[in-house]
Amino acid sequence: MQKSEKASLWQVVKAVFWSFVGIRKKSDLEKDAEMIQPSQVVIGGLIGGLFFVVSILLVVKWVTS
Amino acid sequence: MAVVQDVHGHGHDDHHPTGIMRWVCTTNHKDIGTMYLWFSFAMFLVGGFLAMGIRAELFMPGIQILEPELFNSFTTLHGLIMVFGAIMPAFVGLANWQVPMMIGAPDMAFARMNNWSFWILPVAATLLVSSFFVPGGAAAGGWTFYPPLSTQGGMGVDMMIFAVHLLGASSIMGAINIITTILNMRAPGMTLMKMPLFVWTWLITAYLLVLVMPVLAGTVTMLLTDRNFGTSFFNAAGGGDPVLFQHIFWFFGHPEVYIMILPAFGVVSEIIPTFSRKPLFGYSSMVYATASIAILSCVVWAHHMFTVGMPSVGQLFFMYATMLIAVPTGVKVFNWTATMWRGSMTFEVPMLFSIGFIFLFVIGGFSGVICAIVPIDIQVQETYYVIAHFHYVLVSGALFAIFGAVYYWLPKWCGRMYDEKLGKWHFWLSMFFFNLTFFVQHFLGLAGMPRRVPDYALQFADFNMVSSIGGFGFGLTQLFFLYIVIKCIRSGEKAADKPWEGGTTLEWTLPSPAPYHSFETPPTIK
Repeated sequence: MQKSEKASLWQVVKAVFWSFVGIRKKSDLEKDAEMIQPSQVVIGGLIGGLFFVVSILLVVKWVTS
Repeated sequence: MAVVQDVHGHGHDDHHPTGIMRWVCTTNHKDIGTMYLWFSFAMFLVGGFLAMGIRAELFMPGIQILEPELFNSFTTLHGLIMVFGAIMPAFVGLANWQVPMMIGAPDMAFARMNNWSFWILPVAATLLVSSFFVPGGAAAGGWTFYPPLSTQGGMGVDMMIFAVHLLGASSIMGAINIITTILNMRAPGMTLMKMPLFVWTWLITAYLLVLVMPVLAGTVTMLLTDRNFGTSFFNAAGGGDPVLFQHIFWFFGHPEVYIMILPAFGVVSEIIPTFSRKPLFGYSSMVYATASIAILSCVVWAHHMFTVGMPSVGQLFFMYATMLIAVPTGVKVFNWTATMWRGSMTFEVPMLFSIGFIFLFVIGGFSGVICAIVPIDIQVQETYYVIAHFHYVLVSGALFAIFGAVYYWLPKWCGRMYDEKLGKWHFWLSMFFFNLTFFVQHFLGLAGMPRRVPDYALQFADFNMVSSIGGFGFGLTQLFFLYIVIKCIRSGEKAADKPWEGGTTLEWTLPSPAPYHSFETPPTIK
């Protein structure tokens, strides 16, 4: 099988973002499955989790200020 | 999914050792899965017996049957046994049976470790159950064993700590086995995004287990040294902090909730498409939602501790994060509903349990969002409202999914059909008695009845009596389930290889009952 090209950073960011909402278009998913490496998803997911925590913290700071 | 299977060379499929040593020494995933399932059912009966004791005592106000100390032990051990002895091993049993068959693997990756991770369970169960008979009795500080209650108490608490160690070790080994099996032993062509959703949810659950079970092990070890070796991790008098325990415990405890519910999501995601005769709506979004639930579950733990005292920044953070978990969970519920939409549906028992699961789990989910709101949580903390909430999640959620799974796969496991009529009775009786037991507990909680008390004020008497009647009914109904399963195994009608018309996963390509060794030659998935 021909080795597929690697996903761009933006594609990983998009995949992780939609995973947090829990929705993904089928055509995008197929592209993801082909191009994104598992390690990219794991690292992207962890950074996404961190981003999630920080953004809630910012909202909380804003609410309580 | 198109499958090319080598049907030759199955002549030695059913050669296996016999007698007791078959079960003691077995490394076969099907045997081990069977043992897990029977063990968890036995523990379910023990935990159920304790629940019956609790409901009997609460049938009327005043102390009738159980001394307060024994009542506390009953609530504590009921929780521990049901969580660690019944629900979790049942799902591991399902994984043992199904994961290799669903991915086209011949067995689990670490077959001997599989045997070991099962056989330490009965040891842990013996420790838990026998702790009732040691001086000082069983642990009585609640299933969350908060200090300082858990730093008091007799050797029953130490026995519980060792039991939790063993159960945790078993879960970690089981999880490692499942991860390795799924990642390394899939049949050719079975890419990750072709895996059945039950396999996906178990893969993610297994990672959660590996992440949080060591945290629990560390917590109980600190408790053990506080009790026996003069440390003061959780003792304020020695410079420690009991609130530290709660943070560490719930860092384990909240993902634990998802450990018990994600495989249930997987089961329901197998059953609903089968009986709707449609592929699962939004397969990929289900995978994505499961992954994001797993990540989010690690950053919400302190919503169990709102009344402990924390800065408002902390309260708001955990409140917002908790409420956001409802988003991916809601996606799943919509996907199941959309799968059924315009499907050619039939309502066999697995489907009934799955629809019952969706209906009641949504109630439990909503009451969870209600509890996530800090000012409300401060009102309902430690009341029966919380008891009602988590029983809607764990009984009508996890347990109903397990029942559904057993009815769904029993024909494949034993080659015989269960009695459809009796199964429907089991479902409807469970549905009725479950709601009778737990719906009224919302009212009790809102009216202020505290949990973990053997006696209560007179105004709570009527709803408690209703709840107890429901509890006894639910308990008896589960003995009926045992009868249905035994009847199926002994004299059920012969099951077809694919008893469910809409089944598409690999296990239905195998004969019923599934041969002792299956997929020795991996099928090719196109």
